[in-house]
Amino acid sequence: MMDNFSSNATTAKIRAKYAQLFTEEDYREMAALRTVSEAAEFIARSARFREAFTEVDPNTIHRGYLEELLYRENFETYIRLCKFQGLDKEPFFGFLIRRSEIECILSIINRINSSLDRTYLSDLPGYLIKYLSIPVMELSNSQTYDELVAGLKGTRYGKVLKKIPVREDGNADYTECELRLRTDYYEELLEQADKEFTGGVSDELKTMILREIDCRNIINAYRMKAYFGYAPEEIKRRSLKFYGIGKTNMERLYEAADAETMMDMVNHTIYGKNSPDTDNIEVEINSVKIRRLRHYLTGSTHAPVALYAFIQLCDIDVSNLVHIIEGIRYGVEAAAIEAQLITL
Amino acid sequence: MAIEKMALVNIIGRFEDLDETLIRCCDSGCFHIEPAFKNEANSTIKLLNEKNPFGVPLKEFASLATEMGIQLTETKGTRFKGWTAEQFNELSDNIDGEIEEKSKEKQRLAAEVSELEGAVLQVDHLRGMNSDFSKIFACKHTACRIGRMPADNLAKLQYYDQTFFFVPFETTRDFCWGMYFCAEGDKELVDSIFRSMFFERIRLPEYVTGNTDEALKKLDGQITEKKAQIEVLDKEISQLAEKHDQTVLEAYTALKKRYDIFELRRKVGAVKEKFYIKGFVPKKQADKFTEGFKDMDEVEVVLLPADADANITPPTVLKNGWFTRPFGMLVEMYGLPKYNGFNPTAFVAITYTLLFGIMFGDLGQGFLLFLGGLLVGKKLSKQAGGIVTRCGLSSMVFGTLYGSVFGFEELLDPVYESLGIDFLPLKIFHSTSFILLSAVAIGITLIVVAMLMNIFIGFKEKNYEKAVFGANGIAGLVFYGSLVTLIVCKYIIKVELASGAVFALLIAIPALCIFCRVPFSIALKYKKWRLSEEEEDMTIGGFIVENFFEMFEFVLSYVSNTMSFLRVGGFVLSHAGMMLVVMTLLDMSATGVKPVTLIIGNLFVMAMEGMIVAIQIIRLEFYEMFSRFYESDGKAFEPVNVSFDSDINI
Repeated sequence: MMDNFSSNATTAKIRAKYAQLFTEEDYREMAALRTVSEAAEFIARSARFREAFTEVDPNTIHRGYLEELLYRENFETYIRLCKFQGLDKEPFFGFLIRRSEIECILSIINRINSSLDRTYLSDLPGYLIKYLSIPVMELSNSQTYDELVAGLKGTRYGKVLKKIPVREDGNADYTECELRLRTDYYEELLEQADKEFTGGVSDELKTMILREIDCRNIINAYRMKAYFGYAPEEIKRRSLKFYGIGKTNMERLYEAADAETMMDMVNHTIYGKNSPDTDNIEVEINSVKIRRLRHYLTGSTHAPVALYAFIQLCDIDVSNLVHIIEGIRYGVEAAAIEAQLITL
Repeated sequence: MAIEKMALVNIIGRFEDLDETLIRCCDSGCFHIEPAFKNEANSTIKLLNEKNPFGVPLKEFASLATEMGIQLTETKGTRFKGWTAEQFNELSDNIDGEIEEKSKEKQRLAAEVSELEGAVLQVDHLRGMNSDFSKIFACKHTACRIGRMPADNLAKLQYYDQTFFFVPFETTRDFCWGMYFCAEGDKELVDSIFRSMFFERIRLPEYVTGNTDEALKKLDGQITEKKAQIEVLDKEISQLAEKHDQTVLEAYTALKKRYDIFELRRKVGAVKEKFYIKGFVPKKQADKFTEGFKDMDEVEVVLLPADADANITPPTVLKNGWFTRPFGMLVEMYGLPKYNGFNPTAFVAITYTLLFGIMFGDLGQGFLLFLGGLLVGKKLSKQAGGIVTRCGLSSMVFGTLYGSVFGFEELLDPVYESLGIDFLPLKIFHSTSFILLSAVAIGITLIVVAMLMNIFIGFKEKNYEKAVFGANGIAGLVFYGSLVTLIVCKYIIKVELASGAVFALLIAIPALCIFCRVPFSIALKYKKWRLSEEEEDMTIGGFIVENFFEMFEFVLSYVSNTMSFLRVGGFVLSHAGMMLVVMTLLDMSATGVKPVTLIIGNLFVMAMEGMIVAIQIIRLEFYEMFSRFYESDGKAFEPVNVSFDSDINI
């Protein structure tokens, strides 16, 4: 009980930060801009990113660095919020660091598989280096999958990747690696949510995590069905084995005759209600996700719940901004950019 | 005292008439624009989202004005009527042409100064380097780059096995300034590595020579010299500016109008070669508005009933008389009523004025407030001044009844004696109970009036839950009225009106109606029996629990709202008490200081008490009364207009 009260300040801080996220009106205004520099200036003027852009000249900023700055601000907001009341002492709150580590490892595997020698070092987001628990820069130099696994020896990831069979060409199946790493991540996260918190906090966290997994599974299943024509069994094999809406319900979606039928079925679940009229599965599912996350953020008094929801909302916010920047860069019409944004 | 009737206006015409149409809409001063369509990616009907062509010339003229040192002010003139963006561009080019030489020279010098200052900034970051720049750049087999890179990426450098080395000079929060060296042959590869880490290269000008300290000294000298040359040019340009200032000001004013009007296009719909504008005008101005487009043959203005389009809500304009008009400000502060809703301004005006007079009754202070209100109305805000004036008058009336003039409570006694009125003036400290009971009685009356208004609005909206069964409907009124009558008769008048059973019935039946207001109103409206309108599966248990707590809240609100009006009596006593303190101080003061004590004491009480009373009445209005009948879900009427602004934010 005391723990709950003691993190009230963090919850209040998160809600104050939440007010700084971009609104639909901001997105609309930004999408109508003509150049990346104008977009950078627009972002630099916002309350959310003003501080991060103090030393940057929006007129000369490299687009890649602009995007990196957005992601960096998200990450640093998370670090600041965790440190604010010492929440980072609880293992659960390392979730974004662990997720970032997995992203790095997957990127390295991807590079190895596509024989793009050493290029990950250049793409490695610099702001992550000091926070990650794995020797990510040494790992970036890995030439083969075995080297990578050897570099990860003694870590949780090493144990997971070791079990994946190496193909004749010395590489491992990327999808398999992703599936196993994410399974391990969510398994650990759900366990921590269960052990480190009690009652309502634990329940809310677990529900939120399971719904996040559901969204990921539905989007992936739709893509596998629509673009690759995978059979239900294959989809089941490639999906995460955690279920927010229940195993039977989720498998029923996988077994749908085609992508359209699947979407009709999704529309009858909690992930389809009130979704906007769009043909983009990511927009549709994530719009529902946003509504639920906002509900958790504004309704819950528990800092872990508010933080987890807030970080996801920040991710969506930045992905929208990156989307707009790319749209502006390639001269896409404002209305077309807006249609691809994840909003309520 | 109602709400202004609106007419929905659809304007359709050909694109060549769009600008003129928008100008006329702005000039009418009564057109509230709405987006013509919802912007959707795949729709064939879209809102115009074009680039404003007047933005460039507007910026040009603004920079021209800055360049010539002309202060931008609104200047009327007709010579630029109907000008296109190209014509404005041409005009700005012509004017610019005349000052071009001097301006270019000034710009060149300013650019040089800025470059030199930039170089100072850059060289300043390289303070750690003591070698001569020219010698470093002269190396034949070694390439060298100066610049900055994100500090986060520094750690990556040691993991590249290419032959280069990076020398950091200064690290700020985000960036590290420094230079890297590599073999001339590896230059391209190393450059690409650094580029991938967002290294921003700085090209030092050739004139930066010597080591860091020497270079900085040289640069400072050059900057001072060039700034002096700029000052001379400024004087010459200002002489030229005098010749053109009228043209620039007129053109800027005209352009700003055109720019703003073009911006309105974002709400205009485009259907093939036709435009479509949607909005509202007050009904009484609709004919005059339509008249304004009569000479435009290709533009069709269609007037429709305000509620003709279900997708847009008509805006609300409060229609008030001269007495109530200033109080519209308080209603707007709470929120406007919806179109077709109920305008409570008259109610607010009457109750606010009365309550203020009761709580702040003083003939002298009221008169000062009245004068203050007139002054505020003229100089600051007409609405605020209007409220203060009316409150001042009310304060004077009640001050006369209390016999209080600037705190002197006996001053009016001879007047009443001569008139033979023996029950006045009302001596506040002798009638404490009467004042407090009267305050509660006023509260009860106002609550009952609020309920009656709620019933009226409920029937008007055909909302039976609100009008009949709700806590502020007929059931609530009977419940509250019976309860009050029972208490008053039993404990104050000490009269037995009827048997307890009759009252029990008068309380129990309405209470049951309030408890079951949702199912009863559903039964009346849909002839169906359901516990809830939204969730069909509400259980009886859930219904009882939910309504039990709501009933509890309703009863509590009747009691608390009624008792809340005790503050009216409280402030009557508090005002008299504070003036008693002033009078005591006056008695204690020396004769020469007495007028000062009286003036300061009165001003202090007026300022403090006046503000508290004003705020307390707002509280009574909003919480005790508005919450019973008023719904503020209206949209403000905002006629399109163009406004002059010297700051451009394009």
